[in-house]
Amino acid sequence: MQEIRQVRLCGYGGQGVVLAGTILGYAAIKDGKWVAGSSSYGAQARGGYARADVIISDRTIVFPHVIEADILISMSQPAYDAYSGEVSPKGIIFYDSGMISPKKLECVEQVGVAATSYAVKEILQKQSANMIILGACLRVAEVVTKSSFAASIHENVPERFREANLKAFELGWSLGEHLKGVQEV
Amino acid sequence: MSFQEIKGTLPAGSYYFSGNEAVAEGAIAAGCRYYAGYPITPSSEIMERIAVRFKEVGGVFMQMEDELASICSVIGAVWAGAKAMTATSGPGFSLMQEAIGYAAITETPLVVVDIQRAGPGTGQATRVGSGDYMQAKWGSHGDYQVIALSPWSVQEMYEHSIEAFNLAEQYRVPVFVMGEEAVAHLRERLEVQATVRVFNRVKKHGTPPFGTDSMDGVPPMPAFGEGERLLVTGSTHDEFGIRKTDDPRAHARLVERINNKILANRGKIANTESWYLDGAEVVVVAYGFTARSALFAVELLRKTGKRAGLLRLKTIWPFPEEAIRDVGRSARKVLVPEMNRGQILGEVMKYARCEVSGLNQTNGEIIHPQRIVREVEAVL
Amino acid sequence: MARDLEKYLRPEIKSTPFCPGCGHGILMNLILRAIDELGESMDKMLFVSGIGCAGWIPSPHFNADTLHTLHGRAIAFATGAKMFNPALNVMVISGDGDLASIGGNHLIHAARRDTDLTVICANNMIYGMTGGQTASTTPLGSLSATSPGGNIYRPFDLCQLVLGAGGSYVARYSVTQPLSLVEAIKKALKLNGFSFIEVLSPCPTQFGRRNQYDSPTEMIALLLERCISKEEAEHLSEEDLRGKIITGEFTGARD
Repeated sequence: MQEIRQVRLCGYGGQGVVLAGTILGYAAIKDGKWVAGSSSYGAQARGGYARADVIISDRTIVFPHVIEADILISMSQPAYDAYSGEVSPKGIIFYDSGMISPKKLECVEQVGVAATSYAVKEILQKQSANMIILGACLRVAEVVTKSSFAASIHENVPERFREANLKAFELGWSLGEHLKGVQEV
Repeated sequence: MSFQEIKGTLPAGSYYFSGNEAVAEGAIAAGCRYYAGYPITPSSEIMERIAVRFKEVGGVFMQMEDELASICSVIGAVWAGAKAMTATSGPGFSLMQEAIGYAAITETPLVVVDIQRAGPGTGQATRVGSGDYMQAKWGSHGDYQVIALSPWSVQEMYEHSIEAFNLAEQYRVPVFVMGEEAVAHLRERLEVQATVRVFNRVKKHGTPPFGTDSMDGVPPMPAFGEGERLLVTGSTHDEFGIRKTDDPRAHARLVERINNKILANRGKIANTESWYLDGAEVVVVAYGFTARSALFAVELLRKTGKRAGLLRLKTIWPFPEEAIRDVGRSARKVLVPEMNRGQILGEVMKYARCEVSGLNQTNGEIIHPQRIVREVEAVL
Repeated sequence: MARDLEKYLRPEIKSTPFCPGCGHGILMNLILRAIDELGESMDKMLFVSGIGCAGWIPSPHFNADTLHTLHGRAIAFATGAKMFNPALNVMVISGDGDLASIGGNHLIHAARRDTDLTVICANNMIYGMTGGQTASTTPLGSLSATSPGGNIYRPFDLCQLVLGAGGSYVARYSVTQPLSLVEAIKKALKLNGFSFIEVLSPCPTQFGRRNQYDSPTEMIALLLERCISKEEAEHLSEEDLRGKIITGEFTGARD
């Protein structure tokens, strides 16, 4: 694993982007990593587009903001348009293929996951899309361990949503299995 | 001295906390058991966490009608024996200034956390700034000293909150944790130890609560309800608290002592951290979040062979004059990046006998490391 | 000061700063009388006061813990002390300008919270210490340093204000009604909740001098004439009530 990973999650306010970032960051701490997370705050976070940045490192983090994302997870077209240009060379973008028409980008791998559509059909809850796309991403990009992520869901998600989130994460993880070498699931 | 090692209030281990949450936990670990505040962005998460955690640890939480009432009730609680605090942001900090002067003249130990946002006025409530440092120093009328700390990480938001209580209790003085929105809302790994080193108030019954033999001493401080029949007043007073509103010697004696007790201990209080100062031609002097941009920039510069260094100010007031003098002797140039129009630049200029310039930004955003890199490269 | 109450005063303080004819000395006496009759221990009493002449009633005279605070903020300071240490018996003594004008917000919020404080407001209807400026309690038409043509604004009815905000015990008496006032202070001290007593106290130096009451006795006579009981007021016409000050308890002690 690389020494430092810069992960950016973005989408509409209400898609659970900020919570997903918190779950990811806490999972990385469970793996013994150093973590710095920041998210859009204020009026933007209340309905406009939302962003959560998580930096995960093997040593203490000096500058805690994302300079160039190594991994971008995008769940809405406006957020994709705003941030897809700030991905590092050899970076990877995971996008919700039911919500976003991707652009052609040089040097950046792009993977589509129909997270919202799976969430509606399989989990019967649109809000679970965040865990599906993150599950797929983690399987492919190996950012944190599966067990730490599941434990982090347990500790950060209120009880009444916990099962749905865990189920969605498992679904995303298994989708990630099939993603090895393909561009979209 | 009354330092002791006590059991922590959180299980030891790693946490993923925001800066505001870390402040609340640091205060509780230090023994804070009275909090009064008024909601204000971007500090409100501190009071929200305190409200929940005081139910578990047994503290008194009061949401007051405004910031004036918040800090005044904190002073009342401190004299009733509490370690107490309030937290706010610029507009609320402005409202608290009169009471801060009162705390200074009555030698009331208390902690105010100011999560700085982009001012002046209402400004940009959700955006960052570092514009309250001069207000922290000079905000109330008259001559007095305070202690102001400048944390740069979530870890330090926790540690400085503990340190703030320890300093307040040692010196009987208002202590400010000068947070910034960018650190308050940052989430980071926080390492919590099993025990905490705290300073508890020195009490000596029957001794004057407002006087010492020396001109830089700190008198012991009893509490209400202990049979001491205390006289506490914001008017000029003698060592027993008796008002002396037209005695020039009493006024001078009191004012000199409340200033001297901090200034004479400047060397013990003022804290800095040095990074890559060996052979540094250009030294960046920075504090708070900006010091992280600065350190990142300095490390980039060193990788390309540029002789840059960083002096980080962990304490702003009392100002670390000696460290600045040293840097001024060894460096060719000092650069002071700040999220304001140069509040600390002026202080650095007073003590650094070399070329000093500022890098100032007032757009409600953090200073990007690349700006600092470019600025240093221009002179190296 | 009655000799038997001297034990409640700091022995090193030999005089009060009040002007001749000021009502605050009488009030000081009556507060201590109430404490004496209740047998309250001065070791558990905390007196909190603000800025202004009335702020000097307890500080430095009373031989107990005293906290002389900022202008307007006495109730906020008292709230902190009482909430942290409920064993303290906390009494706030201050003036009308301090408690109801600059400190009005704290007054209504402490009443709303029903914080267990006894608040005694010495109302002299003017800013005395600063030289006789109009207060929020100055009667319509009265002259002051800042109302040379007579006050054009209605004064606060402090008791109605505190009642409206939720205070548990509210009363108004004049220093010319000492027995009733002592009873009211005793009730307030025993009550577990927010209690407020407005005490009319004459200020010959600033109010009297400007309003043609040339001696302290004239001001005392005026209070004796103007202050009528709630019960008396019930039988008077609107015409007869003009200029009268209605005194009494405005709620019974809650418990």
